[in-house]
Amino acid sequence: MKSEFNGYAGKILEIDLTQGKVKQTSLGLDLALKYIGGKGLAARWLFDLMPPESDPFGPENILIFATGPLTGTLVPGSGRCIVSCKSPATGYWLDANCGGSFGPEMKMAGFDAIILQGKASQPVMIVIDDENINIRDARDLWGKDTFATHRWIKSHFGEEFRVACIGEAGEKRVRYANIISEARAFGRGGAGAAMGSKNLKAIAIKGRSPITIANPEPFMRICREAFNEMAIHPDSGGGRQKYGTNTILSCMNETGVHPVRNFQKGIFQGRSIVNEEEIREFYVRNKACYGCPIYCSKISEVKEGKYRGAFVEGPEYENIWSFGAQCENTNIPAIIHAEYLCDLYGLDAISAGNVIGFFMECMEKEVLEEPDAGFPLRFGDDEGIIRAIHLIGRREGPGLLWGEGVKRVAQVIGKDSESFAMHVKGLEMPAYDPRGSTGIALAYATSDRGACHLRSWPIGAELLSAEERIDPFSMEFKAEFVKSQQDLFTVINSSVICLFTIFSLSLRHIVQFLHSVTGIESFSSPEEVLTIGERTNNLVRLFNLREGLTRKEDSLPNRFLNEPLKDGPSRGRVVDLETMLREYYFVRGWDEEGRPKPETLKKLKLL
Amino acid sequence: MMKIYPSLCTGCRICELICSLTHEGSIAPKRSRIRIRSNWPEEEKIFLCIACEPKKCIDVCPETALSWNGYLRMDEEKCTGCLLCADACPYGGIQTEVSKRFPFFCDTCAGEFECVKWCPTKAVAKVE
Repeated sequence: MKSEFNGYAGKILEIDLTQGKVKQTSLGLDLALKYIGGKGLAARWLFDLMPPESDPFGPENILIFATGPLTGTLVPGSGRCIVSCKSPATGYWLDANCGGSFGPEMKMAGFDAIILQGKASQPVMIVIDDENINIRDARDLWGKDTFATHRWIKSHFGEEFRVACIGEAGEKRVRYANIISEARAFGRGGAGAAMGSKNLKAIAIKGRSPITIANPEPFMRICREAFNEMAIHPDSGGGRQKYGTNTILSCMNETGVHPVRNFQKGIFQGRSIVNEEEIREFYVRNKACYGCPIYCSKISEVKEGKYRGAFVEGPEYENIWSFGAQCENTNIPAIIHAEYLCDLYGLDAISAGNVIGFFMECMEKEVLEEPDAGFPLRFGDDEGIIRAIHLIGRREGPGLLWGEGVKRVAQVIGKDSESFAMHVKGLEMPAYDPRGSTGIALAYATSDRGACHLRSWPIGAELLSAEERIDPFSMEFKAEFVKSQQDLFTVINSSVICLFTIFSLSLRHIVQFLHSVTGIESFSSPEEVLTIGERTNNLVRLFNLREGLTRKEDSLPNRFLNEPLKDGPSRGRVVDLETMLREYYFVRGWDEEGRPKPETLKKLKLL
Repeated sequence: MMKIYPSLCTGCRICELICSLTHEGSIAPKRSRIRIRSNWPEEEKIFLCIACEPKKCIDVCPETALSWNGYLRMDEEKCTGCLLCADACPYGGIQTEVSKRFPFFCDTCAGEFECVKWCPTKAVAKVE
């Protein structure tokens, strides 16, 4: 039997936090064949195990950590792990993933996945030391920031333990609280708040089991070739080794899709200050996730001035935007400090910056007054950003409301603020203005977890790619493009490796990796593997429909549909979503209401 | 022999993966002969046998199981698994693992130096 499970650990750890019970079960080969791992498995479990319309903060929500057969191997970018649950931000599907070493360590402790159900009666942590699994009292840790939590765990149990934990924001159920592992995050959608609602502060893992490879010789050769291709490719080895994710910063600004003032403009006049060369000045060293030759992570540090002492693994492109252009702030040390605080509190920095920018617009439009915030919160106010993060992280004063995210806040304050509440399905927007890219517009509207650039990223093909550039304004073939890229990305998130490998590698490589690691014959077929991605995306769709999703929510904020962009190459443009959405449903084999047709489900063996 | 440049290390641990794959036939970083210690937010540290001159490991072995011929060699017949050699090494170059009876250390992959070939930043290098 064991030989069937090359690449997999072969076991699942199920923990019921209400009863404090731990159970180990086998991973069925059928399940692996049908869903690969990671996101695919999580989709099956969330659909089957969670009662419909569960409260994301209730004990019936299920929190799943999962790896795939490529996790922890020598495949480039294999340091990833996914977390999945019903999202506190959207009330729909959530999968978020994180680099570092947590996923590989989990697999070497012997588990492909950990399924957490129920709710502990008081704060607990889970300590997994190979076969020894303990649910321990964590009252001493409750209230500690994420770095202090790491230090505490490593000093008590040993520095070899890998940790995933929440900070104060997760404990206090900020709907965009994340889960932090070292300085990386399971970022979007509020998995940290779901974890907090279970009274689970941290999971610490150490494992020493080997990961077996079905065909080591071809595997090493394929990995070597992939390493070489990545190293010389301009979109991975080139810019990303030098600038990290900020390699695209000035290009995004020049093409007019770097949103400014809560998406009121598309070009940041502060560009002379906020560009990748300037940000690079703050980098002190390179950092890589487990098994990755690209080291796109940069450790940055503020060495002088009022933000002295802040250090982050970053700042990433998204956060340079969320605390930069989004809030019209050009103070880079403040951006680094803001991201540092988000790491400590366990806050998703994309959503946090969105919320703050939204409030800045509320102030500007006089929807809110100074007393509502307790201090002036104007565009460009770096100190205001920092103050706001503290309030959100601790949920103090106005932070109590701000922690609910822009969708819910706009519903509470009203006064037309919903017209500039920038979110899809309750998840705040990433750093690309969809009026300059029809592809990303459709990707946002149809993403399973709300406004997200990582379910499909047409930006690369429309605005960056040196080869096979497609027209960013045309709507032709965008439905096909987004659909097939969503299926491919789901394959990657099921495998589970880093999405960024796709800058230089392709489905052909993924299939070679899967086949040489697992030895599973059907994984050698690109069509079959892509069908698995499509199957999972349809299963996730069924989950979302069951939770109440309708066609109306496959949409975009009013601003993108009705307010023409004011500047840049996309000036005067709005998004014509309806046309693309109809086409998208058609190529997905969904009906006009966005429901998978019976024949589609039959074809995908979901019926 | 090998030279290490910890300041170039990004903590990717590819050396551990290729080392264990080469020697053990599976991915097992905790059975690797080279080790990266990365304890965020500290900088990475590299541990492996760097063919130092004093070679305390050979001196302390009560069974004279260790000798040097291009790299450290061990006579498994003589080794009792006391691990005094690992304790004596000031560079953390000798590894141990609970599932293994004997200590283990770099054998240069019979002159192939796989970690050197795979390290993306040349934080481990071969010196003639």
